[in-house]
Amino acid sequence: MSFKNILAPIASIVGVTLIGIVIFLGVYSWPAVKFNGFSFVVKNDWNLGNLYANPVMHRGHLIMPGAQYGILFLIVATLLSTLIAVVLAVPLGVGSAIFLSDGVPAVLRPWLSFFVELLAAVPSVVYGLWGYAAVIPLLSHTVFPWMAKHLAFIPFFAGDTGSGYGLLTSGFVLTLMIVPLITSTMRDALISQPRGLREAALALGATRFETMWSVILPSTRRVLIASSILATGRALGETMAVLMVGGGALNYLPNNIYAPITTMAAFIVSQLDSALEDPTGMAVRSLAEVALVLCVISVIVNGAARLMLYFSGYQRLGGGGWA
Amino acid sequence: MGVGIEVKDLNAWYGANHTLHDITLNIPANQCTALIGPSGCGKSTFVRCLNRMHETTPGAKVTGSVRIGDVDVYNGSSPVEIRRRIGMVFQRPNPFPTMSIYDNVSAGLRLNGFRNRKALDEIVERSLKQAALWDEVKNDLKKKSGASLSGGQQQRLCIARALAVDPEVMLMDEPASALDPVSTSKIEDLIFELKSQYTIVIVTHNMQQAARVAERTGFFLNGRLVEFDSTHKIFTNPSDKRTEDYITGRFG
Repeated sequence: MSFKNILAPIASIVGVTLIGIVIFLGVYSWPAVKFNGFSFVVKNDWNLGNLYANPVMHRGHLIMPGAQYGILFLIVATLLSTLIAVVLAVPLGVGSAIFLSDGVPAVLRPWLSFFVELLAAVPSVVYGLWGYAAVIPLLSHTVFPWMAKHLAFIPFFAGDTGSGYGLLTSGFVLTLMIVPLITSTMRDALISQPRGLREAALALGATRFETMWSVILPSTRRVLIASSILATGRALGETMAVLMVGGGALNYLPNNIYAPITTMAAFIVSQLDSALEDPTGMAVRSLAEVALVLCVISVIVNGAARLMLYFSGYQRLGGGGWA
Repeated sequence: MGVGIEVKDLNAWYGANHTLHDITLNIPANQCTALIGPSGCGKSTFVRCLNRMHETTPGAKVTGSVRIGDVDVYNGSSPVEIRRRIGMVFQRPNPFPTMSIYDNVSAGLRLNGFRNRKALDEIVERSLKQAALWDEVKNDLKKKSGASLSGGQQQRLCIARALAVDPEVMLMDEPASALDPVSTSKIEDLIFELKSQYTIVIVTHNMQQAARVAERTGFFLNGRLVEFDSTHKIFTNPSDKRTEDYITGRFG
């Protein structure tokens, strides 16, 4: 047996598993896909129906009376919380990577890097608990009221700041969870840039900042995009922490940045128990459809990011401006 | 126009390692001065002290004085100001890979806040012509990355980048040692052309190269300047026994 014949099956396990999961999700949720139709993704009405009545036939499907499923609010909440997290985490992550690669003495670097990696290793339920016990009181009593008052000119920043559970809190917790991912990849990329590049810029009279910003950082652009893709994927799929700080909104869209939300992943976890009560199985299959939509969104986001990566190739030169 | 360099009692360290001992010499304006010596003798450290690049290495330290023209390098000027007046070319070609050829050459000027497009175009063309690269790249100036050129072309691009800011001094740290013989001879021709307008200091461990391009040559050994004289004298009738041993190939 050749080397290739041994390794090929091992390597294909990953791909086969992925395809298997997607096929399973598709097949399992197919009755729900047919029953819910397109309104699944454009309506806000997740309703298990009357679980104490007898199942009824509706458009050829056996369901509980009044049951209907629409998850627009989940999709919006998932995308918005991820967007907030990525928008905050990219500058934070890149900033700390620059600091770790260039701003600290070489002796301290391994220690600080160790802490950053430790941050990535903390289980998400710990973030959730910390958010619940420490961050939410601070946000709801101090930070959010201040923001609503002083940043009211920004759309969606004004209005009722609620209990502290919600979109922005979820965004913050997700930010904390994905910053270490971006930081550690970017730090490695920045450190591995050839020394000659740095020297070329310094010898031209660039300051340390100009050297970093115009020469070193642009040459790690691909790593930045790749690590942002990973981070986005993590934020989209994060379950436990956002379940604990999201606020558990059902069937309505957030009206401002503080409003309670539920993300798709958190919703699957929180609703599974109730959905299993449905004797017709339509509720669980609809939850599987939520999972399917989440997969599709991840694939689309990944694909879009990869296209960006492709178009940022060396042939198509970017700015490279100093200012 | 180039200016002369006066170095007095220059000492340099890497951490606890004392790499340069009491170097004193005067490098004349508008000539090429070569620094030769075996590996680790301090010649590269010496040129890196002239434009304060030495101190970018963690743990590095310098004492003594360097004057370039009327500028005191280690007293009253920031390293950034100094480096903007001195061009430097390194052993390994190091064009900026994310910038086009045009942006590579104009990088130093844009750094100084120079924004006039028409003037930039002219300076880029002039610098690339001076570096004998214009004919090879004029059609891809903004299309190709600096990293897409061959090694020899990259090094000439780096020379053009250094020339674009019209420096008073050009420091070259073994500029041809990573290149093939054809590229090497192009670089040497270039040095020959440029030295009427710029003060050039070239570090090399190729003695023939020193003999070909330089009016004056300094011989470094173990962090000390052993002898500094006209190139002709160094290679035909050196006053120090160690210089003679080195150029006749007895060590190094």
